[in-house]
Amino acid sequence: MRAVVKNGIATFSPQGFLDGNNTNSFLGIEDVDATVHLNVDMILVSLKKVVFFNKNGLDTFIKLFIQIRKKNHAIVGFCDYDHKKYVAIKKFYQDEINFSLFKTLDIAYLFSSSFKNQSKNVLIYSSDRSQRSAIAIELHDNGHNPIVVQSQEEYDEKREKKETFDYSIDSTFLGQMGQKIATRVTGNAIIYTISMFLDVEISDKFNIEYHNNSLNVGFRLFIFDAYKVISMNVHALNFFSKLASSAAEYNATICFVGMKFDKTPESFKNTLEDSGILFYAQMDDILQNKELLKELGASSASNVKHRRVINKETVLELPKFINAAAVTIEMMTNSKAIKESVSVQSLIIENRDGKVASSIGYYGDIDGMVILIFPSGIAKKACELLIGENTDDLELILDSLAELVNIVGGKIKTLLLDEGINVNITLPRTYNDVNSLLEVIENRKGIQVDLSFNGDKFLFFLTR
Amino acid sequence: MITKNEIDSFIEKIPPAPNVLKETVRLLNAGELIRAAKIAEGDLALKSYLKHIVNKPIYGFKNEVSDISQIFGILGVSLSQQSVYNYMITLLSPKKWTLFKLNATLFYELQANLSKKWEIILKHLNIDDKDVYASISLLPSSIIVTEALFAKKKDDINLLRTTRALDYNTILLRLCGITLFDICEQIAKKWEMDETVFQIIQAASGVKPSNIQAVDTLGKWMHLLLFYELSKPQFIEAGLNDFIDFQVEYVNDIYDDFALLMGIQ
Repeated sequence: MRAVVKNGIATFSPQGFLDGNNTNSFLGIEDVDATVHLNVDMILVSLKKVVFFNKNGLDTFIKLFIQIRKKNHAIVGFCDYDHKKYVAIKKFYQDEINFSLFKTLDIAYLFSSSFKNQSKNVLIYSSDRSQRSAIAIELHDNGHNPIVVQSQEEYDEKREKKETFDYSIDSTFLGQMGQKIATRVTGNAIIYTISMFLDVEISDKFNIEYHNNSLNVGFRLFIFDAYKVISMNVHALNFFSKLASSAAEYNATICFVGMKFDKTPESFKNTLEDSGILFYAQMDDILQNKELLKELGASSASNVKHRRVINKETVLELPKFINAAAVTIEMMTNSKAIKESVSVQSLIIENRDGKVASSIGYYGDIDGMVILIFPSGIAKKACELLIGENTDDLELILDSLAELVNIVGGKIKTLLLDEGINVNITLPRTYNDVNSLLEVIENRKGIQVDLSFNGDKFLFFLTR
Repeated sequence: MITKNEIDSFIEKIPPAPNVLKETVRLLNAGELIRAAKIAEGDLALKSYLKHIVNKPIYGFKNEVSDISQIFGILGVSLSQQSVYNYMITLLSPKKWTLFKLNATLFYELQANLSKKWEIILKHLNIDDKDVYASISLLPSSIIVTEALFAKKKDDINLLRTTRALDYNTILLRLCGITLFDICEQIAKKWEMDETVFQIIQAASGVKPSNIQAVDTLGKWMHLLLFYELSKPQFIEAGLNDFIDFQVEYVNDIYDDFALLMGIQ
């Protein structure tokens, strides 16, 4: 069984009965290997469609969790359970729970790095005081506003006032957390929260895929919230120096905030400054200073100083990119996708109203970004297989569009690999209007292809 | 990915039930076990299949049973008819499975397990209706239909399923407006199976509850039985565990009864 990956979380969804005899069968050697190498924030097992489980059944997954955590610092655990299942798991493992429990997958998404789900008001209750605090801290580090309540009565009372929060969390337990670096988006800046001792493990804990994606989709200011850092060794120093060099290619800025050097050699600060990293004492020194934000490149979603152009490698592989988009649309709609015109130009979108877009970056032997732009009604049709119901819920449509472009990205990866070209794909990003997309790509030139299926037109744009 | 035309073509290619089998079923229906056995002897493949199935450990016979009249005699009318239908379903199965890691032996094992446990369930529910007994035979045809329609689209399906956990039934329904179980119903009609058979199968899909309460209850038992079997290691490894969606809520009210009957602790 393979995990489904969405919003930085890989989820296994076994069905039926889980016991000691069968759980090994869900995870073949190849599945375990593929899971260990997934670049995700979390790996979870959904218990939504499990009608029976015992401790032996869960133990196999726990063994997988241990294996994963040795090689990949993802958060691991179970999700999608009712209260009865939650109580059963807590009873099975009592004080030895070193995995996490999320009542629903949506709650788990709040703890992962994603461009979605930012700044949500989250009502929290756990009978365990340390859990209440841990959940609140993690949510805060991920850019949310936790509202902690002290008793079940208060929780029940506050849950009645649905307009005061976006999510409510109970029957949730955080096991070994904080392994991956928490990420949040503030305006046009990405903030990473780092803590404790920074050593060689930083490269495993840091979600490089998310970072590359952020660069590809136009973010130019990256702030490391380092208030809780105790010290840094030479391996971490090298990591940040390399990160600064790769950021320079995009003319992006990396800042450290609140970093103290009483237990870290002062010479490290000089080395980091030489790499281009800036240091500030307080977060507000940056976020409240509009002039500085502009100077650091966070005044807009993109920076024009170093514009990358479409190169020969990309043009040579163009048919594969178009093919990936067309084949995916054909698969999703059961209709023939037709290429109507191709041109190299800045993105031209007629009638911007009511259009939505989705993008995905790729990097490796070649790099760039694929963008699909649809009228929202057509996007709905293109994603009918994923949506499965008649809806005008824009969030649901955008969510499905992100999945669609993710499938396009997966197809591109496969097609390029057939030619011996290795690329990784980034997380997809969606835009609920084309102006926010145009802000990201500005006047960058690219290859624009007008495509249609069933007479419905949409745009494909490939740029760097 | 899958078009309505491909489905129509698949249904069109389903062969009519062979005369020997039709006649065997007719005689079994009339309770004429000996005459039915004589007719069945004429189909060597059927004979071999019945021997293979009945001598599986789950049937619990101490000595090998090889004679068809002996097999029919032991099984009785309902189970004999069910076994003949099981054989008819195998006529649709592919020579080589590609979407699922199955082979003839493993498929027969699934049929045998389902049939034997269905018998236990029906005895528990005090139901002695040969068409209800026969209904379980049609259930594995949903796996054959899935294999037939999706085998060539395996890569597309795998790609799609890395992003969204869609089962084959949902994919087919959303693309073509038809479910795997609608196709099973077509097979049953083509083979002149009783209406009860496909009514139960539709309910057993878990997504089309029947408004006839007795049928719906049987559908729930069959849905849960299917996932009880598909949770066995060999069927998980064959890729069957998630070929359709398990509807936990649908079976909630019979679960405790089922668990007790199957000795689940």
